[in-house]
This record gives sequence, structure tokens and C-alpha cells, in this order.
Amino acid sequence: MRCNYCEWRCELSGSKYGICKMYHEQDGEIQERFPYQWSTYTVSHIESFPFYHAYPGSKSLAIGTVGCNFDCQYCSNAFIAKGEPDTLLEHLFYLTPEKVVKLALQTGCHNIVFNVNEPTVSIPSLLELSRAARQEGLAMGCLTNGYTTDEATELLASAFSFFNISLKSISSDFYRKYTRAPNVEPILRNIKRLAANSHVEVVTPVVPNVNDHELLEIARFLSSANPDMVWHVFRLLPEYKMKELRYPSIEALIPVLEEARQLLPYTYFHNFVGSDWVNTECTECGTVVIERLSLGCGGDRLISFDCQDNSCPECGHRIPMLGGKIEWNQEVV
Amino acid sequence: MELGIFDVREWQTMVNLSTGRKVEYDSPMVRLVKKVMAQHPYPGDFEMMGNQWVTDLALELVRNYDPGFVFLSYSQPYFAIRFNPMAPEKWQALVDNALTEAQRFIEESGFIPIIVGSGDMIPVEGYMDVSGLDGLAVCSPWSAHYEGVFHPSERDLEYVKSLSGLQRLVYREEFIRELGGKPSDKDRVPDWVLVAREGFTFKGMQSSLRPLARIPAHNQFIPVYSKLGPIKTITDVSPLIEENLKTHKVALIMVEGIGVKDFTLPFTPVVNGFSWYTYEPGESQFLALTTGQHQFFNYPPGLQYWPDDNENKPYPFSGYFNHLDENALGFRYNGRSIAVGNRSMLMHATSGADIALECFARNLYNHGTMAAILREKEFKEVSRSLL
Ligand SMILES: [Zn+2]
Repeated sequence: MRCNYCEWRCELSGSKYGICKMYHEQDGEIQERFPYQWSTYTVSHIESFPFYHAYPGSKSLAIGTVGCNFDCQYCSNAFIAKGEPDTLLEHLFYLTPEKVVKLALQTGCHNIVFNVNEPTVSIPSLLELSRAARQEGLAMGCLTNGYTTDEATELLASAFSFFNISLKSISSDFYRKYTRAPNVEPILRNIKRLAANSHVEVVTPVVPNVNDHELLEIARFLSSANPDMVWHVFRLLPEYKMKELRYPSIEALIPVLEEARQLLPYTYFHNFVGSDWVNTECTECGTVVIERLSLGCGGDRLISFDCQDNSCPECGHRIPMLGGKIEWNQEVV
Repeated sequence: MELGIFDVREWQTMVNLSTGRKVEYDSPMVRLVKKVMAQHPYPGDFEMMGNQWVTDLALELVRNYDPGFVFLSYSQPYFAIRFNPMAPEKWQALVDNALTEAQRFIEESGFIPIIVGSGDMIPVEGYMDVSGLDGLAVCSPWSAHYEGVFHPSERDLEYVKSLSGLQRLVYREEFIRELGGKPSDKDRVPDWVLVAREGFTFKGMQSSLRPLARIPAHNQFIPVYSKLGPIKTITDVSPLIEENLKTHKVALIMVEGIGVKDFTLPFTPVVNGFSWYTYEPGESQFLALTTGQHQFFNYPPGLQYWPDDNENKPYPFSGYFNHLDENALGFRYNGRSIAVGNRSMLMHATSGADIALECFARNLYNHGTMAAILREKEFKEVSRSLL
């Protein structure tokens, strides 16, 4: 039978486990091969994933499983995303949803973020985790490539309240060549669908001479989905099969990003240590209302929040934000 | 002001190291460091060229800044063998490369060396999964031997005692007493410190996401090459260097991943720890070398770094370090000093050197290079261009 979680819609039967190798068919149902098996759990800043406009300052329990439905040529987590899941079992943690939630509470985390690999490959476990998290008042977020079916998108929307969706390009050619996925359309559809009801931030890694000419087009699309969309343009760190690639020039991208900011005021440029393009300015009066530090991939953090009730202190303009500022060591209610 | 400079290839920026805030500043030292960084991009933690990068940068700074004390780390063998299964010939090539690069530095600079191997690496025999404990089990970053457990239950005690890879369970009070701590150290030490048997390691919070190929042995002795005088234990290195700096230019060179089995220079086996505790490669071993004091309580097993990791954490670009240890050699020595290594954070956080140059890698991802300038000293600017 065909898997209905992602748009590959793989045929699953016997030892056919699909492109992600994480599902199988049993008794006429699609089931997870490795339910409740996690690859990591660790404490992080919510800005580090990155989420810049959700629960700023909060402490997140970062979790992941293994497997991915894409084969990105520049994957920075290939050892976990593209490894054979059954050979990684020895390295995984078997933790019930209740136990994951308990770990979040023991470490004082305010939310749980699935960030290591693609959540679409572990949807049943994540649905159960979200139920357990909700009971304790913990919100859940995830990073996804957005290649879900309509049905699975609804499931993700029920499990997670904030999303960081990777939009690598606006062209299907790019997706075919660099991720093996045949078509960008489902991703564009899902960004619109999720942005309508959930908090969505989008990340676009810039690959020099490959997708850097598309940035304004991407900005236009995102603006049509939500003019306040938070957009993270990433200076790609070439890894995996594109390790030899040239690093994108920062100076060359600045004018393009300044133009993009006219379309999407909450455009950020980072994934390199010391970036100057990680602060939030009030779009009405230009006051810097939130300051962050960028430590490169996976290390961003808040350093000041001058935006009481998510409003500019100078002119009162609302800054779009899911939830309000959370103090790092604030007790989880 | 202590400065941090970052080079991410074709772009540089500068911050106040202790606050993380951007600063604009110019001086001969800053110009020199920026220029050296721009000309020497970092090859990556797994790349053998990383050792050559250390020597090239160190020689560049020696020629242009003329330090009296140099601290170097060649850490590529450690990163490579920890995560990559490899044939003995390949490993031998990595060892030879690192030691050859260390010797190239000595020959071209004329410094008197003390070369230290961090200890042997051995295959992983087994994992102990402590994620299911009622208490919170935390692994210090990169530690293989030790796990801290906070608020354990009775049930946890039974489970832990059943682990075949466990060597010992050390209660907080014992840990403090046996390793010479103060009562105030109890705030940083977990209720239990679990010690793995040699070859075994833990799976828990913060344990490695990447599958491990090898982990440090319980290295009671580490190899030290030195002609400066007798060294019995790891904490003897720092005072011996301090004494010799009065009359000589001295280089302390760490070669990580290499122990008494593989060290190819003549060496003395030196005690690498105290009582039952042996140092693993990392901040505590580096600090024991540079400060001459044992380091069991600043970064103890199971250290929870996150409670203090708020918006005001000092040294935000220095990972879990929230201060620079003023007992480090670079702080105690009045002459000019430099540190260079392919070991991120540790070079500037444990050396106290005037200038520390290191890779900016996190979780083995190459983000470029970082320099810390802890203090400005006068030096004669060399007019010739850099290499
Ligand atoms: Zn305003």
C-alpha cells in the first residue's frame, strides 16, 4: 500500500520501507518502524533553531529521531538523517512521550523543538508526544522541509504550534537536482496552509550561483503567504556531498537582502558567527527592539528584548510574535 | 577590553569578548591578527591539513609578534579517530602528521618544546543507556568516562548497579572529599558521578549524537616529551614552564588523541589525574596543564551549563566557559604570548595568551576562525608582508 505521509507516496510492503526507511506496512496499516526512538535530547535556546519570533528567550528541549525523505546534497546532519536507521538503533534512546515531557520539565524547558531530522518520518510518535506535552502546557515546534501530503500537513498542524519550514528554492529543477524531490509545489502549498493557522518562519540556505538569483522571487512568494513572514536567509555551510563548494559572499548578498526587506520586513541573514543581520527593528520607526547574537549554525541567542507586550517602546507598533518574552529560568507553569 | 575577532571567509567582525557586543577598534595587534586570519582559512576538524594550519599560523605570529610563550594544540587526530573507524596505517599517518607539524614548528621557531599527548584512544566496547533513570543523567560535553546524575531515585540505584560497564558510583560527598574540593563545590557536583569501565561509555543527555568509533582510554599516564626538567604529574608542567620562561622561549604543545602507545618521540609517562580520576581530552586536561592546578570542580562530570546560560552570560562566544582562568600561564607570564590550535574555545579559554587563534567549529562544523586578544602589548611591527 502507498504511504500517505509525504508526497513521495512510497509503495510500502514487506521489506519496502519507503524513501525515508522509517515506515512499513503491517496488517494493512502504515506503521512506524522505530516508534519512540530518539536520536538526541538536549537543552537549547529557541533562537538557535532558529525561531526569532516565537517565545523569545525561552529554553527548548531539542529532540530528533533519524531518517529523512530528502537527500540534500549539502546536508549537515547526514550521519543521522541519511544513515540506515536500523544500523543506528544502538545509538538511539527509547523514551515514551511522557518521559520526553518529563525530561523537558526536569531541565526547565518551556517548549520542545524537533530539529535534528525531518518530523514527517516520525509522525505517529510526534502526535503522541504532542498530546503528552499539551497536558503539561508545553508548546511544540519543528523544523520541516514541508514535503508533506495534505493529510500529513494537518497532522503536523495538530501536533506543532510553530514551524520553521525550509524553502530551498522556488524552482522544481533545484529540488530535483539538490534534494531529489521532484516538485516544489507541495512545499509552497504547505507553507501557505500552515502560515494561515500556525506560526511559521521560513529558512532559505543560499547556494552560490545556484539559488542566489531567486531570493527576491522567494521573498515575493512568502510575502503573498504572509506579509509579516519571518524569513531566515542562511549562508550555507557546505557539507556532505557539496563540501568543496565555495562559501557564499556576504557582501554580495547584502543589497539583495535589503531589497527583500522591502517585501518582507522580518528578513534575517545569518548562519555565520557575528552576523549583523539578526536584530529586529520596528517597521514603523526603526527602533531596534530585539537584539540577538549569531554564533553560526545552531547557536543564536537573545541578548536584549526591549519590546514589552510585543510592542515597540517608541511608537507602540506591534511586532508579530508567537507568545511573549520568556525569562530563561522562568518556571514552567 | 578583551576582543574577539571572527573570520568566516571573506568577512570579519569584532566583538567585546566578555559581553559579545560589536566593537570598532584598531591597533597594530588587531591589524596583524585580522591579516593572519584572512590569509589562513581553516580546513576543518577532520582534515589533516588542519595540523599544517596550526603550524603555519603559529609561525606567522612568531615572526610578526615575537612571543616568549607559545601554546599549541594539534587536535585533528583526536577528532578523526573519535568518529571515524580507521585502519592502523591511516591512524599512523595522522599521528606522524601531527608530530611532524609540531616538530616543524620547533625547528623553524627555535622554541624549547614540551610536547604532551592527551592519551590513548580505544574502541568502544559498549554503551550504558541512562536516559531512563528517574533522576536526570547528564554527560559533560565530550566526556566518555563520566556521567552526572541529579536527584536519583532508589530504583535508579538498582538499575545503575546492574550496569556491566559501570566501574564505580561516586557520591557527591565522596567526590568532593577524595578530590580535594571545598564545601561550596557541592553546588556544581551532581548527586552521583558514574564512572565507566575502560572501553564503556554512557548514553544520556548531551552524549554524542554522532556514532563514536573510539573513546579515550583510562589514561593514568600520558606521554610528555621535554628536556626542561623532571615532570611527574600533569600539574608539574605549568610551574616548570613558568620557571624556564625567565630565560628561554618555551612552547607547550598538546597533541590530542595520542597516548603512550602511539607517541613516537622519546617521552616520560606522566600521571594524568589524581586518585581514581583520569583526565579525558578537553577543558579540564588543558587547564591542568596551563594552570598547574587540578581541575575537578570548575567543569565537573555532568556539569549543567544551561542554568547560567541566560542573556547576560559572560563570554557568549566561549561556549560553557563563563570566565577565563587567571591562573593560566598566559596570565602569569609578563612577556608576549600566543596560543594557536585546531581546538575551538579551549585555546583562548585555557591559555590566557595575549593572542589566541583557533578554529571556530561547533559540533565539528567549520564556521571559520576566531581570535581572542586578551591584552595589548607592544611589539615591533614587521614591515614585510605575511606569507
Ligand atoms: Zn516603533
